[in-house]
Amino acid sequence: MKKLIELKNIVKDFDGQRVLNGISLDIYENEFVTLLGPSGCGKTTLLRIIAGFLDADDGQVLFDGQDISGLPPYKREVNTVFQKYALFPHLNVYDNIAFGLNLKKEPKDIIEQKVKRMLRLVGLRGFDKRRISQMSGGQQQRVAIARALVNEPKVLLLDEPLGALDLKLRKEMQREMKQIQQEVGITFIFVTHDQEEALTMSDKIVVMKEGNIEQLGSPVDIYNEPVNRYVANFIGESNIVDGVMPCDNRVIFDGHPFTCVDGGFAKDEEVDVVIRPEDLDIVPPQEGLLRGHVKSVLFKGVHYDTIVETRQGTSITVKMNITEEKPVVNEAAGELMDADSFYLDRDDVAELTESMIIARSNAQAWSRDTEEGISIARISYDIKPENGRYPVTFSTAAGTSVTVDMIVEDANRVVSEQYQEEIYAVNFSKSVDDIKESLTLDNDLIVWADASAWSLAPEDDGARIRITDVIYDFDWEHITPGVYDVTFATKGSEYKVATTDRTEPGDFVGLKFTPDDIHIMRKG
Amino acid sequence: MKQFRSMAYPYVVWIAILIIIPMLLIIAYAFTVEGTAFFQGQFTLANFARFFSDAVFLQVLLRSLRIAILTTVVCLLLGYPAAYAISRAGASSTLLILIITLPTWINMLVRTYAWVGILQDGGVLNALLGLLHLGPFQFMYTDFAVVLGMVYNFLPFMILEIHTSLSKMDPSYLEAASDLGANHVKAFLKVTLPLSVPGIISGITLVFLPAVSSFFIPKLLGGGQYVLIGNVIESQFLTSGNWSFGSALSLIMVIIIMLSMYLTRRIDKNREDAI
Repeated sequence: MKKLIELKNIVKDFDGQRVLNGISLDIYENEFVTLLGPSGCGKTTLLRIIAGFLDADDGQVLFDGQDISGLPPYKREVNTVFQKYALFPHLNVYDNIAFGLNLKKEPKDIIEQKVKRMLRLVGLRGFDKRRISQMSGGQQQRVAIARALVNEPKVLLLDEPLGALDLKLRKEMQREMKQIQQEVGITFIFVTHDQEEALTMSDKIVVMKEGNIEQLGSPVDIYNEPVNRYVANFIGESNIVDGVMPCDNRVIFDGHPFTCVDGGFAKDEEVDVVIRPEDLDIVPPQEGLLRGHVKSVLFKGVHYDTIVETRQGTSITVKMNITEEKPVVNEAAGELMDADSFYLDRDDVAELTESMIIARSNAQAWSRDTEEGISIARISYDIKPENGRYPVTFSTAAGTSVTVDMIVEDANRVVSEQYQEEIYAVNFSKSVDDIKESLTLDNDLIVWADASAWSLAPEDDGARIRITDVIYDFDWEHITPGVYDVTFATKGSEYKVATTDRTEPGDFVGLKFTPDDIHIMRKG
Repeated sequence: MKQFRSMAYPYVVWIAILIIIPMLLIIAYAFTVEGTAFFQGQFTLANFARFFSDAVFLQVLLRSLRIAILTTVVCLLLGYPAAYAISRAGASSTLLILIITLPTWINMLVRTYAWVGILQDGGVLNALLGLLHLGPFQFMYTDFAVVLGMVYNFLPFMILEIHTSLSKMDPSYLEAASDLGANHVKAFLKVTLPLSVPGIISGITLVFLPAVSSFFIPKLLGGGQYVLIGNVIESQFLTSGNWSFGSALSLIMVIIIMLSMYLTRRIDKNREDAI
């Protein structure tokens, strides 16, 4: 195959912001090339530089070996299908398609022949006289392709042309576009942020990120052998876990050694391990290379997206004391008042303030008639940094008062050496109504228990870690007074599995995969 | 939305008092002779007959149309390039629009008076030409002066309308034209110009309407002998006191204007239908 376009070290800045960071890329004859990346990665800018709408700040664009940098668009042998098609609203379908040929002053009968042929190619026979505004999105799309192709360009540039279409139509156009490309046999350069579109249509995918090319290759190569975490995440869903390569063909992750087919890493190099969800099979636990509990199952039509947790994160369990407390009523003043006993970490006693006490006990007073809040005028308490129960009394100016206990305990923490993280939570006391009225119970439980987790790794400097799981076994709608366990946990090891096997959340299962299902990527 | 409907009532009353009732009065006057004829139910076409039987009035009407058309054409020829340049000016286009509209903040009458000072025999223009040993020329009381005054006053309307339609145009149309092989001139003729026709048409309407019925510009710059249809109507109301004939003339003007507006819309619509 012959090189058609050569991009050499293309650099582009917008207002001092670097958009393209020295892109070099060869595009061959008869190729379907896709520039893939999220918005802002520079893919559209690159396309516009090839089309001639923008000039590169540095670098060269060679077309058939000729430097075409600085050549205006109307002198280039490329045509563009625009994102919103940019069909001329004052011309009908025929005149839109004939626009380029009319400019070249081709004979009328030749123009007619070519336009009719194009209309047939894109499946719009007999639409010649239609106005653009009378056409659907998909039809406009076809007109835009016909208008560009009729000029017989050597390269067709397509700028996210399917973005405005609905899912079904998009799939249809994907197939059709590939067909058209094979039929006319020219190079297509297609810009999209949709990885599925890229995988379906392309001969070659160029994955871009922040003005750089991350990876370039066939859809199969890029899907199976992503070079890094970014590409793996962008191309399809992946399980990416931390691993170590003790030697070639050997990788340790999730606490176990596995055989793999990769090599060429330093001894004990830390790597990212990728396993595609469809490469994992759910098997009975004894047959699995990894074992875990099914955490969630989502039905996706053909298959189930199943999350299997092979190892729980760091977890801590606290007691939740549910009471049937009713507010204290002060008939004379027409006031109501309410507060909960609460638990306190012994280490925190020294830093205790009145506003913390009000917050933790959820103390509040309000008028019986207007329901408006009344400020708490006085808080009296006596507390020592020793385990025990210490009463605290809240009172309003009108004399309404409530006494609850502050219960001081040993610090309640769990440290995980393996994950290098620590999790903390305290017991707490709530009323039945608090639970029933909660709109986001998981979130409220985290707040009430003061649950938090953080990293112990020296390089993380105590960074917060999200608590992903809140586990309890009470039915919040019918909760009765009593003591309940609530467990908070950080994220452990999870694998997403695309499978046709049906499992139920909670099932204990095994996960199976072969050495060539494991893909090793360098960190960073 | 319903609760806001009542807020429209003051506007409805306003429209009724200021537009509908005066229109009805004009119609009533146009079909009656002076005095209390209206209340006695004596209607007549005599006012219209007078207009069509006297060649002088028709000549005045034709002259008015000629001056208005000339004004509109000049405004279009000056206004389009200006609007095009402004729409291409990028960030400074707001400033340019401000400069274009700035003179309209001053009373039209005052601005037109200023032209008298410039154009009269011993005025600024003749003084400047004198430095070049040219003239003096008679500018005042000519078609030139009247058209100049009208163009000066109505040009901003043309520029604003065309600028609006040009700046609303999606720039990707021009990119598409360029992509398909059109150089700048071709892209302008085949894309920009046709897409700005709606702006041109509303610009023409906004210039032609005040130009055809203007009376103080011809009065100031054309002099007492220079009579356009607007001056005739004005004199019927203010000097001759013949409100009935004045109303009939106004009604004829209204019909001519409505007809011309209808025709321009039709042309615009035909053009769209042809697409």
